[in-house]
Amino acid sequence: MSETAIEVRGLRKSFGDKEAVAGVDLDIAAGSLAGLVGPNGAGKTTSLSIMTGLLRPDAGRIVINGLDVWADPVAVKAVIGVVTAEARLFERLSGREMLEYAGRLRGLPVAEARSRAAQLLDVLDLAADARRLVADYSTGMRKKAALGCALIHNPAVLFLDEPLEGVDPVSADVIRRLLTRLAGSGSTVLFSSHVMELVEQVCDHVSIIDKGKIVVSGTTEAVRGGKTLQRAFIDLVGPRASDEEVLSWLGSSSS
Amino acid sequence: MARVLVQLKLRLVLNALRSSNAAETSFILSTFFALVVAVGGFYVLAQFRGLSASVDLTTVIFTMFALGWLVVPIFAFGLDGTLDPATLALYPLRTRPLAIGLLAASATGAWPAANLLGLLGVTVGLAAGGLGVLVALIAVPLQVLFCITLARLVTTSLATLLRSRRGKDLAAFLFIPIFALIELLGQVIPNAATSGGITAASFAGVDAWMRWLPPGLAAHAIQDASTGHPATALARLAALAAVIIVLGWLWVRSLGRALVTADASTGSSHLRGAALPLARYGLPGTVAARTWIYQRREPTSLIYWAMTAVIMGVVSASTILGSHQHPAVVIGSAVVGAGFFCYFHANSIGLAGPPFLIEALALTSRRSLRAYFAGQNVALGAIAAPLLTAICWGLAAGVRNLAQGVPATAVALAGLGAALALANILTVTFAYPMATRAGSPMRQAAQGYGSYTFGGILATQAGVAVAVTPVILVAAFTGTAPDAVRAPALIIGSAAYGLALAWAGVRIAARQAQERLPELCQIAVHSTI
Repeated sequence: MSETAIEVRGLRKSFGDKEAVAGVDLDIAAGSLAGLVGPNGAGKTTSLSIMTGLLRPDAGRIVINGLDVWADPVAVKAVIGVVTAEARLFERLSGREMLEYAGRLRGLPVAEARSRAAQLLDVLDLAADARRLVADYSTGMRKKAALGCALIHNPAVLFLDEPLEGVDPVSADVIRRLLTRLAGSGSTVLFSSHVMELVEQVCDHVSIIDKGKIVVSGTTEAVRGGKTLQRAFIDLVGPRASDEEVLSWLGSSSS
Repeated sequence: MARVLVQLKLRLVLNALRSSNAAETSFILSTFFALVVAVGGFYVLAQFRGLSASVDLTTVIFTMFALGWLVVPIFAFGLDGTLDPATLALYPLRTRPLAIGLLAASATGAWPAANLLGLLGVTVGLAAGGLGVLVALIAVPLQVLFCITLARLVTTSLATLLRSRRGKDLAAFLFIPIFALIELLGQVIPNAATSGGITAASFAGVDAWMRWLPPGLAAHAIQDASTGHPATALARLAALAAVIIVLGWLWVRSLGRALVTADASTGSSHLRGAALPLARYGLPGTVAARTWIYQRREPTSLIYWAMTAVIMGVVSASTILGSHQHPAVVIGSAVVGAGFFCYFHANSIGLAGPPFLIEALALTSRRSLRAYFAGQNVALGAIAAPLLTAICWGLAAGVRNLAQGVPATAVALAGLGAALALANILTVTFAYPMATRAGSPMRQAAQGYGSYTFGGILATQAGVAVAVTPVILVAAFTGTAPDAVRAPALIIGSAAYGLALAWAGVRIAARQAQERLPELCQIAVHSTI
């Protein structure tokens, strides 16, 4: 647990005048199940995209399992798995074809790719829909299929962007158990989420990002500081302006 | 209710107009084309005056307008918010006033007005005398009302289907006959008419059965009133009105059902044998398998193949129809076909969209990128080579000069190799995000990238033309050689030349892609699928 799996230093990225990531520093220990939380537009997705080599940073260094992401992208990409927020997959492949395709892209032998695809579909409760087109999948099914694609090569580090958004409670539980199991086996999981209860329940490490910077990072207990994570989060990033007084009519049965 | 829905329609149009420069341009273009249809329709119908086949021609025009109303709303289902009953299902609205309101909303806008004004050309072209003009002034609004009611019935009945993935696929496939029709009307028929291949007399008698369709009833009612048969004219107008009432009744029933029917858009069937084919042939085989599957299952891919075939046919149409005699035009078809094939695949990462990230995470070495492009090319080439060859020989037969099949095939195969090479290189060096817009089954360049489309067509056509020039020259200079030697030598040599070009394209594209992978990922992310 003491080795660092994800090390981020001085990460910066701007889009025009807007600085989306304004100097992120982050250390995630190997075997952690870490959460990255923050309000909308805080820089979570941009940070994850840079960490996974999908977006070039303006400045900064990312080291994953001892490998520099931007110096040796081939080696890094071989050991990571990524689930993006929208979980966009090849719509005209069936679920089974999609997972097999992901496995073959990762260099798995045909038989192994097929076998792992079948097992993952089974565990993710997609076996009955394995021969349906991804285009016909619901949001939750897409998330699960995307997770299967990210897991099929048994990554040492898994990145997920909002893995439970739009997912029903049963599917969420399946994903939660898979992530816990993966981290328990020694792999590292870093995911962004708005669901504080989930992060509080499953993560041993939490980082809160706001305005492109990590405002706090540490063990879940330390970040909570005796409060709920939700309360600690709101206290740290500040309450948003309220319009409650304007809506004085709301709640009255008369129009 | 009618007023509210008409205001809603106008508000939607105005909001779309204000949303972006592209929307504003689109609105101006649409209004301009509506004006062209109004003026052009009026002019064409007015030109039928005195022709023996004027009623036949008017019936054909009326029927074409009705077909337009039948097809375009299906095509543009997502474009008009008032077409989808689901958008109004949440409000406490009674069906009958809602139907009247939706009908009024449908009749609002530039296109219904253009239809009405354009069809009024019959007051000059077909109607004669006071009674004839009077009946025309009744028949034309009835014809437009018939078109609107028919369109509403079809879109409302198919609303659940059109919201589903299959319905959208179905609407996308309608693009193929529409594109073919546009090419027919814009290229083939004008050329044939100019050379005397088609005259007004060619349409005489074509309305033997069309006269009994509602558009035919409207046209013939005007004819009857103009030739002193007012009773028959009134009977036809009454029959047309009855058809509209029946369609309206069916539409109100359909609307009532649609407002309380659950959306079943996620329903789908299972595929047979859904394992990835060709996957055992390494990374190129795996990518080829995915590309191959997409050519069969993705409507856009099928549309691209159909458009390539139609364009090749149109290039040779003037000679096939006998209006011109240039058998070598088949070679031109081969060049243009290969050029458009190149254009359609010259932005494969933008077309793939966000799923490309899954591939990008695995494709990082130059070798794997070479395998990626080679795999795509194998699948595309496996379809394009026989397709282009078959079309070349079909066109050679069409121009009654089979000998042209040999050089045309040689040019097509060399052009195919050049097209694959250029498509791979452009995919990497001039990639741009694509966007899916409501109302269009075809993905287009995202806002701000429109010039890439125009530039892409020019670059691919010019690039392929330059690349096949040596083959055309060799074919021209060896025209007197014995066919038994010339044909295989030319075709095999051209195929080898094409393969060499494609191989070089893969290597160049892979080298460029390795440098630009993060940028390509961002282009993919910014595409919508």
